Amino acid sequence: MALKNIRSKVLRVYPPDTNTDEVISGKYKYDELDLKKLAVHAFESIDPTFYADSQKVKDPILVASTNFGCGSSREQAPQVILACGVSCIIAESYARIFYRNGFNIGLPLIECKGISKEARQGDELEVDFSKNEVRNLTTGKVLPMKPIPEFMQQLLEAGGLMPYLKKQHK
Amino acid sequence: MGKTLAEKILSEKSGKDVAPGDLITVPVDFVFGQDGTMPLAIQQMEKELGTRKVFDPQKVGAVCDHASPSPSEQVSNVHIFMRRFARENGIYFFENGDGICHQVVAERFAAPGKIIIGADSHTCTHGALAAFATGMGSTDVGAIMAYGTTWLRVPEAFRFQIDGELPKHVTSKDVFLHIVKEITADGATYMSMEYQGSTVDKMSVESRLVLSNMAIEAGGKVGLCPADEKVRAYLKEHGREGEYRPLAADKDAVYADELFVDASRLEPMVAYPHRVDNVKPVSELAGVPLDQVCIGSCTNGRLEDLKMAAEILKGRKAHRDTRLVVYPASRKVLADAIRLGYIETLVQAGAAVCAPGCGFCIGRTVALGDGEKALSTQNRNFKGRMGNNKAEIYLSNVAVAAASAIYGKITDPREVL
Repeated sequence: MALKNIRSKVLRVYPPDTNTDEVISGKYKYDELDLKKLAVHAFESIDPTFYADSQKVKDPILVASTNFGCGSSREQAPQVILACGVSCIIAESYARIFYRNGFNIGLPLIECKGISKEARQGDELEVDFSKNEVRNLTTGKVLPMKPIPEFMQQLLEAGGLMPYLKKQHK
Repeated sequence: MGKTLAEKILSEKSGKDVAPGDLITVPVDFVFGQDGTMPLAIQQMEKELGTRKVFDPQKVGAVCDHASPSPSEQVSNVHIFMRRFARENGIYFFENGDGICHQVVAERFAAPGKIIIGADSHTCTHGALAAFATGMGSTDVGAIMAYGTTWLRVPEAFRFQIDGELPKHVTSKDVFLHIVKEITADGATYMSMEYQGSTVDKMSVESRLVLSNMAIEAGGKVGLCPADEKVRAYLKEHGREGEYRPLAADKDAVYADELFVDASRLEPMVAYPHRVDNVKPVSELAGVPLDQVCIGSCTNGRLEDLKMAAEILKGRKAHRDTRLVVYPASRKVLADAIRLGYIETLVQAGAAVCAPGCGFCIGRTVALGDGEKALSTQNRNFKGRMGNNKAEIYLSNVAVAAASAIYGKITDPREVL
């Protein structure tokens, strides 16, 4: 089994150390258990039109620099990104807990050196899992991506940690 | 070949000789969540696994600390959801006012060699007791509550060799702020941060909890200190001496990176907005006017912190333009601080002493107003952290915070005390 390639437009390119407080402010998560309702507040403090813009592109791709998702363990951060319809994130690197959370909920997190310099908002990208490369179809630039570890691939194929474990414990 | 502390614990727990990079499955000795993360963990368990039953009620805890005491009906309803799950399962449940999850877990459950997973990034705190403790998300915690195990990637280790005597008004908080300044906010990503040396040996367990608590601020997976006689005494104080055993890295352990810190040369440090690794000596930031000074949190809300604050504020008053807020880390800390007179001193100095919890740090209570500046003893100064993204947060040790409260501006305690 192999992961299906992803082809879509870049919704945003975020700077280094974008933290989970910026993805979803702590003030909302204690009041609301419905992730779809939380999603309208995604990136609100640093990017007020994020949610509205995310609804205009089909399966958008989020691009970021280094240490994306640092800070709080709040899983609501990748959850709201997923709930906004984002198909995958491509970043130079991720904070550990965020990385784990993404795969746990079935959101592909791709590590690709140089991506934050080589992709701009609106560019069309293709993530090729068989060749482990990210192609910028707008500029023609091709970048190698870090292969997704076998175990994380299994999580994505199962649809996340819970469906994966359910199968294992059957 | 010798093993790091993380490799030692994970080898024992997985039953095989592990090396960095290995993916292993291990049994979890204690798993917990708080009111911001536990409800989602319960939901995931219920929705995806079709169960609300935990694997072992003695190894699971739920803590109402983040939005606590509840400030709204919505939060109260979230607390009800959590409380009901806890009662159904007979797990440990900590009510509003019992304390911050990391303090409660340190007092009641953490011990050398245990594996502790919490749905809170600062779970690395328990490495101060030589537990392999790390933060995860709600889905991971939901899965552990159901099955009792988790998968881990064995981390490379970063050794911090810290030697020398800390000068007056310089604490373990400053040691960490110095470290994060040197290695930056992602300098130890995925790594085990292992603190060693004569300075660490001399530190109280409470001070070590600060070093371990902040490991995540440099990207660390876990922040470990060796288990020594001080850890035994700490466990004894909390009625758990039987859970003690000595534990340290092997002398010939292999580290991916090392940093040497001469503690005797450190100064009180301040992290300025909006990053924890924006660190300068307090003298360079002295004079910044402050609207609020906060003492407490899972970083610096322990008895030795309240003692230090009370000693500095005794017979003095917080500046009239500056609100002083104190959040003890747990009910035990608060009760001890009352008994020892620290709370009376702080109240007389003008402090608003609140029920133990995370209130100011995450801004769910005592939120900042537009354009306000706060100095806090917490661990994180991200934009929006104290409830308002138009405010600014500075971080420091308790001595700097207490001195700054008196003068209403960032103040070097060495200048005035």
